[in-house]
Amino acid sequence: MAEPLVARSALRPHVAPHASAAGAHGVTLREVENLTLASVAALRGREAELVQAVRAAYGLDLPTGPARVASGKVAFVGAGPGKWLAVSSAPTEFSTLPAAVADQSDGRTVLRVSGPKARETLATLIQLDLHPRTFGPGDAAMTHAASIAVHLWQVDDAPTYEIATFRTFAATLWRWIVEAGQARGLDARAED
Amino acid sequence: MSQPNRLASGGLIDRTRPLAFTFDGRTYSGHPGDTLASALLANGVTLVGRSFKYHRPRGVLTAGSEEPNALVELRTGARREPNVKATVAELYAGLEASSQNRFPSLAFDLLAVNQLASPVFVAGFYYKTFMWPAKLWEKLYEPLIRRAAGLGRAAEAADPDPYEKTTAHCDVLVIGGGPAGLAAALAAGRTGARVILADEDFALGGRLIAERRELGGQSAARWADEAEAELANLPEVTVLRRTSVLGAYDGGVYGAVERVSDHLREPAPHQPRQRFWRIVAKRAVLAAGALERPIAFGGNDTPGVMFAGAVRAYLNRYGVAPGRRAVVYANNDDAARTVADLNAAGCELVAVVDARGDSPALHAAARTAGALLVFGGAVARAYGGQSVKGCEIVDARGGSFNVACDLVAVSGGWNPTIHLTTHLGGRPQWRDDLAAFAPGGTPPGMTVVGAAAGAFGLGEALAAGAQAGAEAANDCGFSGGTFDPPRADDDSGETRGLGPWRVPAKRGKAFVDFQNDVTVKDVELAAREGFRSVEHLKRYTTLGMATDQGKTANVLGLALMAEITGRSIPATGLTLTRPPFTPVALGALGGAHRAKEFKPTRLPPSHFWAEEQGAVFVETGLWMRAAYFPRAGETDWLETTIREVETVRTKVGVYDASTLGKIDVQGADAGAFLDHVYINTFSTMPIGKARYGLMLREDGIAMDDGTVARLGETHYYVTTSTAHAASVMRHLEYCRQWLFPHLDVHLSSITDQWAKYAIAGPRSRDVVAALADDGFDVSDAGLPYLGVKELTVCGGTRARLFRLSFSGEMAFELAVPARYGDALIRAIMAAGEPFGICPYGAEALSVMRIEKGHAAAAELNGQTTAADLGLGGMMSKKKDCIGKVLSQREGLADPARPRLVGFKPVDRSQRLRGGAHFVPRGAAVTAANDEGYMTSVAYSPSNGCWVGLGFLARGQERIGEIVRAVDPVRDGDVEVEVVAPVFVDPEGVRVRG
Repeated sequence: MAEPLVARSALRPHVAPHASAAGAHGVTLREVENLTLASVAALRGREAELVQAVRAAYGLDLPTGPARVASGKVAFVGAGPGKWLAVSSAPTEFSTLPAAVADQSDGRTVLRVSGPKARETLATLIQLDLHPRTFGPGDAAMTHAASIAVHLWQVDDAPTYEIATFRTFAATLWRWIVEAGQARGLDARAED
Repeated sequence: MSQPNRLASGGLIDRTRPLAFTFDGRTYSGHPGDTLASALLANGVTLVGRSFKYHRPRGVLTAGSEEPNALVELRTGARREPNVKATVAELYAGLEASSQNRFPSLAFDLLAVNQLASPVFVAGFYYKTFMWPAKLWEKLYEPLIRRAAGLGRAAEAADPDPYEKTTAHCDVLVIGGGPAGLAAALAAGRTGARVILADEDFALGGRLIAERRELGGQSAARWADEAEAELANLPEVTVLRRTSVLGAYDGGVYGAVERVSDHLREPAPHQPRQRFWRIVAKRAVLAAGALERPIAFGGNDTPGVMFAGAVRAYLNRYGVAPGRRAVVYANNDDAARTVADLNAAGCELVAVVDARGDSPALHAAARTAGALLVFGGAVARAYGGQSVKGCEIVDARGGSFNVACDLVAVSGGWNPTIHLTTHLGGRPQWRDDLAAFAPGGTPPGMTVVGAAAGAFGLGEALAAGAQAGAEAANDCGFSGGTFDPPRADDDSGETRGLGPWRVPAKRGKAFVDFQNDVTVKDVELAAREGFRSVEHLKRYTTLGMATDQGKTANVLGLALMAEITGRSIPATGLTLTRPPFTPVALGALGGAHRAKEFKPTRLPPSHFWAEEQGAVFVETGLWMRAAYFPRAGETDWLETTIREVETVRTKVGVYDASTLGKIDVQGADAGAFLDHVYINTFSTMPIGKARYGLMLREDGIAMDDGTVARLGETHYYVTTSTAHAASVMRHLEYCRQWLFPHLDVHLSSITDQWAKYAIAGPRSRDVVAALADDGFDVSDAGLPYLGVKELTVCGGTRARLFRLSFSGEMAFELAVPARYGDALIRAIMAAGEPFGICPYGAEALSVMRIEKGHAAAAELNGQTTAADLGLGGMMSKKKDCIGKVLSQREGLADPARPRLVGFKPVDRSQRLRGGAHFVPRGAAVTAANDEGYMTSVAYSPSNGCWVGLGFLARGQERIGEIVRAVDPVRDGDVEVEVVAPVFVDPEGVRVRG
């Protein structure tokens, strides 16, 4: 029998280079690995059932707009009317929910961008207003970073943003964030 | 003293730090705070460039971004930048500038003979002169004209500096950092609103730092300093210096360019040279000030003729005397300040010429300065060639006399800087009380204040700015702080400057548009020849069409046309301006995403492994795909491709098929939904089966093909072509949301979720068997052709296995979650080694699909129907689908349409070419005899000759016939035999079993 397969990130240093500025870091960039992700869509006529099932299984109320609601290791991020991206930092079987569920654990790569210059760095790619008066922890958006489709949400006031993108676009998005971050005290490398 | 015209004191320059720079190779010295223009003037350099058409000597006319004359090449090598305005180029140590449009040198320019020939270089010259023989245009006339006319040279090497684009959002955008803009920014900023203040200058203050004025009991420059300091401390205020707001767009969006590093020798590491800002503002306050305008008199372009307001800027801001013996010629009282400032700086005032009658302000200033005062007179002509040596003054009675001078300060009045108000169609209004155009309509949310609104007084500018800033912030829900503008010293006097626009011709050219060398005579000629509409005037004479967009020229040109044709100025018309307000580098518009980073690059899961194998890659849309995998000793792509095809057909090969679009379709109505979008039926397909499908556009033309697998009762898996993945997803979402909202169906793109490898060839089953975990039956009974199963491979990795073939061989598509894709390709290669496996790339794939007659992008080209593709039989008669009705239109259902068939060269050694057109043997090669075209060709190792696919009229009825494949572009003319579009295993035996 063949050897077990080894999981690997879509990012390698030669296509997603590391960078670490001297001194205080204005912005840090990391890949968030080992997430369980799934796209979840409410089935017609069974919307309430899904709300109940999510509440029962994860102790959270599904957000109804562009928002992220988290409880423990599980979060649901609004992805359009009746659609969510389910995110868990632990192995989680979302496919048992009464919904159309598609595994996206490998379909998306999630990048975490944080630090005092995170907003300024992302402004070179994302045209939304991320000022704290209009976008804060728990807010989410489906938008684009230059020409790359992204699903973005804010985690905390650091500020920390997480950006989910299609896996095969992740190396390019990484490079573009690095390009913008280098003048802003960037620290970009693999998770410690 | 190294800077002979630097005043002993004054100016906002740092005299303690000398900055060495060169102009045309000579070294000079200036100070921080200088522009290139002020530093050149301080060094007594007045000749700065040669003009566009006549190569006339030109100096410095203005002190701002409207400068039409003092254009230079800045920097050298790859950073060389043409047409930089010396008046805004900030001085830095080691700056290298050179003059433009001169040969061999600035002082001695051979092409200045163009002036002698100027009678032929009048308006419309190109249209009239180079008419015949027309064939000489490209080879002779145009290159000659381009060498003789024109300005700087672009750098020949790629720009080495990075650029950046960014987006900013604010409540209030204040455009211009002069008195009105500072007041607006302070008033808005103190409320707590998010404010952006942008000014194109490197120092804030506008006219405050160019004048000797007092504000609130201190110097105006000092007040501007304090205002800037306060703005810097307001957390929600962003001050963007060196930032030109270039355009106003829909939705409160403004474009601006920040010259981040233009004032440095080269950008600091990782810093962009320029940053393009997309500013989204709820409200905007336009405080862009006003631009002075010239008076057309003979030799008014001679170096040393300068706007009166610019003279004050050089005196007061830069501590530079642009001349020592001055004549001031004006039609308004503003120039009285120039008289006073020149006098205060110790310059001699030779004469003050007021075009009007007796005016108290100019009168008083002239008397204080001890200048000869001429009322109702004119400067008829400035003379001196490369620098002003004197001028001829005409008095009110018509007598004339000459005076010696080295500076003529001119003011023909002021034009409010209203450009941004016109970008969304606002039409300026002529105001007789101003003798100028003032804003008509403005973009939504914009307020215009200060001189830009025609309020030229300092006190009224401050008051209007403060009010507009507060109101704009209030509109956005902020009302926290207040700002009371300081008291300004007295504004009195007449700023309205209504003519004369020109001085009756004496000798010498009188320029209207300096940058494009348009003279009064050109305007007169245009009028005589009937080009009286202002739009015709502009195009016939090129008035206002230079890179300065006629900032100093347009109103004068319009006024002259009005005068010549006996109409009023508003009746004559107006010209609107377009973005950008000042020229913008394409690099700034491109930003960081250029060259290889212009678009994202998608890397399939096997990419890093393929790199290790030395694969040659090809860009397919955004994807980087392996085209072929050369081995040592192979000399070209064809040799490698042939080896890869033969390996697949005789042993086994592996291909990364992950780039195909993959869509997860779920819901109770998933099957019904697919029946709507495909011509064939999927709702009745058994679970665990896959089938080829074709979808049509609404108009009946084939859109895309792929396979559909049924994974469960309400769960399907759709694949699309690589090229159309995004558009098919978009189409299906549109169908789901708008056409069939009643259906319970949900789509999710899973293209990136799965790494999928096609394992193809007679030994493919052996390879799959070696990978599948124990207990999985890979036999034909366990997984027949078109079967689909879930399984685990390599000790527990969940996978999906599809018995599908694109190559025509027995084949499997094995998919695992993408994170295992790299490991799986290595595992497949290891498992396949005993069977002689090789990886194959897009080239071999293409050869094999042509050999099997499978349609791809060349056939699904937006012009072909299912019937054309030979797939008409797939169209279900039991149901409707998108495109079905329109596919039965007369034209599309015409049996004479070209149909997909195969072709082989009659002489098997001949090569086929895609794009060749089919013509019957013996018929003339004319469009009328065109019977179709070749879409795809390949060298077929299996046939030992080139084979092709193409569309031939009634092709399916003409198997065995011989036609010509004519390729006039490449001189190809090959006789080809029409064959069935399957060149390998026509019975389809190999895929089964």
